[in-house]
Amino acid sequence: MALALPDDVKVQIRLSTRHSDIALPEDPGALLVPTSLRRIALSSLVNNLLHNEKPIPFEFLVNGQFLRTSIEDFLTQNGISAEATLNVEYTRALIPPVHTTSFEHDDWVSSVDVLSLSSPAGVWSNTVVQSGQERILSASYDGLLRVWNLSGDVLATSSPPNNGGRITSLKTSRWLNEKKIVAAGLDSVVRVYKYDDDTRTITPSLELYQHKWPVEDIAVHGPSNKILAASADGTVGLFSGTAKDAPAAPANLLPNSTAASNKRQKLSKPDRTVPARGALTTLSGHTQGVSATIFKPDDATVAYSASKDHTLKTWDLTTSSVVDTRTTAQSLLSLAALSKVNLLATGTSARHITLVDPRASATQIAVMTLRGHTNGVVSLDTDPSSDYGLASGSHDGTVRIWDVRSVRAGVGSEGQIGESIYTIQRDSAGGKHIPSHGEGYKVFSVKWDREVGIVTASEDKRVQINRSQ
Amino acid sequence: MAPNSRKRKVVTRESPSDSDSGEDLANGLLEGILSHSEDESDDSQDASSGEGSGADIWSEGEELESDEGHEDVLDDDADIREQIRSLKTTDEPPRKKTSQMPHEDALVLDKNGELEDRPGDEELKRNYTVATDANGNERYIYEEIEPVYDSDDSDAPETTNTIGNIPLSYYDAYPHIGYDINGRKIMRPAKGEALDALLDSIDIPKGWTGLTDPATGKPLELSEEELDVLKKITRNEIPEEGYDPYPDMVYYFSGREEIMPLSAAPEPKRRFVPSKHEAKRVMKIVKAIREGRIQPYKPPSEEQEEEQETFSYDIWQDEVPRPEHSMHIPPPKLPPPGFDQSYHPPPEYIPDKDEKAAWHEADEEDREKEYLPTNYEALRKVPGYERFVKEKFERCLDLYLAPRVRRNKLNIDPESLLPKLPSPEELKPFPTTCAAIFRGHEGRVRSVSVDPTGTYLASGGDDGYARIWEVGNGRQVWNVKLSNDEPVDTVRWRPGKDASILAAAAGEHIYLVVPFAILSPDMEQSSRDVLDAGWGYAASKPSTETNGVTKEPPSRWTRPGDSMEKKGVLVQITVRKEVKVIHWHRRGEYFATVSPTGQSSAVAIHALSKHLTQLPFRRLKGLPQSAQFHPSKPIFFVATRNSIRSYDLAKQELVKSLQPGAKWISSFDVHPGGDNLIVGTYDKRLLWHDLDLSTKPYKTLRYHQEAIRAVAFHQGGLPLFADASDDGSLQIFHGKVVGDLMENATIVPLKVLKGHQVKSRLGVMDVDWHPREPWCVSAGADGTCRLWN
Repeated sequence: MALALPDDVKVQIRLSTRHSDIALPEDPGALLVPTSLRRIALSSLVNNLLHNEKPIPFEFLVNGQFLRTSIEDFLTQNGISAEATLNVEYTRALIPPVHTTSFEHDDWVSSVDVLSLSSPAGVWSNTVVQSGQERILSASYDGLLRVWNLSGDVLATSSPPNNGGRITSLKTSRWLNEKKIVAAGLDSVVRVYKYDDDTRTITPSLELYQHKWPVEDIAVHGPSNKILAASADGTVGLFSGTAKDAPAAPANLLPNSTAASNKRQKLSKPDRTVPARGALTTLSGHTQGVSATIFKPDDATVAYSASKDHTLKTWDLTTSSVVDTRTTAQSLLSLAALSKVNLLATGTSARHITLVDPRASATQIAVMTLRGHTNGVVSLDTDPSSDYGLASGSHDGTVRIWDVRSVRAGVGSEGQIGESIYTIQRDSAGGKHIPSHGEGYKVFSVKWDREVGIVTASEDKRVQINRSQ
Repeated sequence: MAPNSRKRKVVTRESPSDSDSGEDLANGLLEGILSHSEDESDDSQDASSGEGSGADIWSEGEELESDEGHEDVLDDDADIREQIRSLKTTDEPPRKKTSQMPHEDALVLDKNGELEDRPGDEELKRNYTVATDANGNERYIYEEIEPVYDSDDSDAPETTNTIGNIPLSYYDAYPHIGYDINGRKIMRPAKGEALDALLDSIDIPKGWTGLTDPATGKPLELSEEELDVLKKITRNEIPEEGYDPYPDMVYYFSGREEIMPLSAAPEPKRRFVPSKHEAKRVMKIVKAIREGRIQPYKPPSEEQEEEQETFSYDIWQDEVPRPEHSMHIPPPKLPPPGFDQSYHPPPEYIPDKDEKAAWHEADEEDREKEYLPTNYEALRKVPGYERFVKEKFERCLDLYLAPRVRRNKLNIDPESLLPKLPSPEELKPFPTTCAAIFRGHEGRVRSVSVDPTGTYLASGGDDGYARIWEVGNGRQVWNVKLSNDEPVDTVRWRPGKDASILAAAAGEHIYLVVPFAILSPDMEQSSRDVLDAGWGYAASKPSTETNGVTKEPPSRWTRPGDSMEKKGVLVQITVRKEVKVIHWHRRGEYFATVSPTGQSSAVAIHALSKHLTQLPFRRLKGLPQSAQFHPSKPIFFVATRNSIRSYDLAKQELVKSLQPGAKWISSFDVHPGGDNLIVGTYDKRLLWHDLDLSTKPYKTLRYHQEAIRAVAFHQGGLPLFADASDDGSLQIFHGKVVGDLMENATIVPLKVLKGHQVKSRLGVMDVDWHPREPWCVSAGADGTCRLWN
């Protein structure tokens, strides 16, 4: 029996994880496993070690790569000797998200937001959002806001605003809490709406004037009732969501400020006047249009903004001053914060996602570059159930799921390079290949919610929901 | 010299006729004096005008005439007269000087007779007019001497002889040789003593002849040229300079057949009529042959032939082995034949296909073996040696030690000769892929323009619509129908972020639009203010009226009507002909339009604040295609079909005329620096002009299969430019201009952007750059615009 079959080649592995809830109770040391094992076998091994009754699917990261083949193939592909001890990191498996439903609209859908138990707005709500009572908010280029339930019924639709014959297309919308919605668009006015779930109405409650060019993105902070609006005029406006806190609106920006637009507004029926207010402060410092802005997740007095002038700025909102400026090489289109790893993910027009360390002590601008999209990355959201997951929506018509742990070394100033784990195609495309310009299928907005799943808004006039399981 | 001598002749001719006519002496005398004085002046003129060799000839003439001065008075020897005639230059003046009396002078002339026959006397014009003075006498009024270059001779070289034409022998007995003009004696030049003479003879100066100049008494020296002439005369050669006694033969009768015959004479009859004389001679020979007087040709006998047979030598014929010796050259030892030389070599010696091909491919001198081992089944199947003659010939050349031409092979990699260009990877960023498609136009899209903030894109197309899109995602946000039947040929945003105004041209109308639907109220107001400022001015403008005829103004600025004003179209400008090109001045106050068919009104400059249109060119050479303002200076560029001219608007003059050498320019663009421009032509070329270098293109780029429609520089500081062609592709180039004048612009082709479909032979119609980013936008004949990044 001295002859060992090739199947019996064994390799030493050392298991570890970054999640405390699934950590092994006692360190088993180096385990000797056959190289023919695949992910499933390793997963059952870990489940056995954890003494789980209900097995949890696990993923295994070896040297920054997810194990997708048998260990033996992995070793030969990467040229690793079977003599060495492998450091294997395991994590909860991300089940490929599958298409569950789509909500059809009349026009391009520019933005989407989710109200659920775990979503920011749900957390800030006074009442607990029950399971099954999740609401999805969509903003469309036809200028209307719609609130949907999960079964695809429109619960409420806003009425188009009377803005003096100007374009009403919306670019962005957010739940402020379960009763308030903030939306803004090409007419550069930020509007706060009241949503009543019982009567199913959306009524405008406040109009916020500050910007001279379209508002590209808004961020909300529920507890302080603050709104950040990033505009193409190069400023970020900080607004208050309640009328009594806000100063008066600048007169020259009101639709009735000029003779021509006033006349037009009078001609269209002025049914009801909505209070108009101005900004608390204006953060100016960008030389070009600001395309995205967010509050710092754990500190609402700090904001980040990404601009088309290639910079990413950190703002101190109490003094409304620039704290730090990070300059990249491309126009930045979107922004999301990975608070656990202290990184900001920003989508660029150069078809990739750059992870930037915003801390002043960081020396390297681009810590990591995530490549895979074939067009500008216009929307980013973080995985609610993981500190390392990221979803990105791009004009190439796809949503990609990333794990920032899955990396390899890059060259030059790019930092490390990551590759996407999953790619979500548009269901309306019917499986056919979408060219890189993504005409007809551009994704404009993506939201990742723990309860609902990955919700995307797209040029195909649909909101698409993908969900793991 | 010739004209002066002729003048003299005139005078001599004049005086006898005067004396003949029987006028009083005083007149004759006067005439003589005048003529004399004239002669004098002529002499001095001669001296002044004759330079170099001329002066030499003059002195020669003096010499000769001094011999003949008195002789010709005494005898009328024909020879001497002949000589005088042949001299014909300086013969008269001395005669007059020797003979004081005019009558005598006349006599001499009468005696000589022939002098009067000289040609050309009559044609010479007099330099004086005859008038009557107060006493009734004739008065000669001489023409004013014009103070021209030749009139003054004060700086003429001094004449060597100042003693006049008196032979030196007259003064043999005196220590002097004559008198100068002030009556002072001119002393005989010092003659050296015996010792001096000896020294002179030892130290012979250059040009020494040992002769004495009879005119001056100084030693006669001859210059190099004179010696040369003398030398030639003694050799019986023609002393003229440049005479070539052996010119090249001109082959009048060469083998070359001329197109035209040398002679137009008809062919002589003898060429085509059989000669009777020859027939006679032939018959004579025939007769002789018949009679046996002439024997026919008989081959030479056998023995003779054998003698003539060539004989070859073989020095090693009877070679016997001999001990080695330096004077003995043994026959060269040939290596024993190998297997491969066999007619039937073993199979391993037979080359395979590749080896055979390589052998055939190689040059003769590079081949390792001279032969190719070939297999024949039997010796009788071996063919004759095909290189036999060639080899014999080569051996003969060897024997003659004939030099052969040896080819010099240069192993140069052609790649290494190309100039080093940076690779496109290093020149990032530049547009590489299509990022968005702007679909909505029916029919072709003719023009695109990105607004100064880089947020919106305007386009105009064949459907008569001007549309505005969001640059990033291709969403149409605004449109207006400008014309029902005419395409929107061009749309251009007004530069400057203070207002947002779009200029669009459809047919002969130019529209200025404020698309208020996408503007904030204050931006709309400031834009409206810019446009509305001129209405009052236009109303108060005096009508241009000349001589009661009201001139048709070059344009009319009107409101376009209610339906259009509701969409934001605020001003309509109607010009005479279809507008194809609009270009804004950088400040946004002026814009230029070009209507190629507009003749004198083809190029117009419109002032926004005054609602005023001006036609800068009264007449334009050629059909204008495009016009642009210089990015920083008051210079205006106008492109006609095959040239580009730049005009200084401040000085109102032509600055430069560029000749791209193109048959038909379609468009051009000026580099933001202002010193370079690119030209696209319908003959598929893209030309780069450096305005500092020359009027010819610095670089010609010929990469397109079809005509180039539009070219554009990146205006926001990136060294990029693009062109759009009818082959449906755009090409992106890196064009870096450095401030250093010593360094030329670097031009690197970067990327071909394909995507537009070619519809009825039209591809991409227009291209524009994003104001800051390395993104470009193209308008396609397939009805789409595309954003490339």
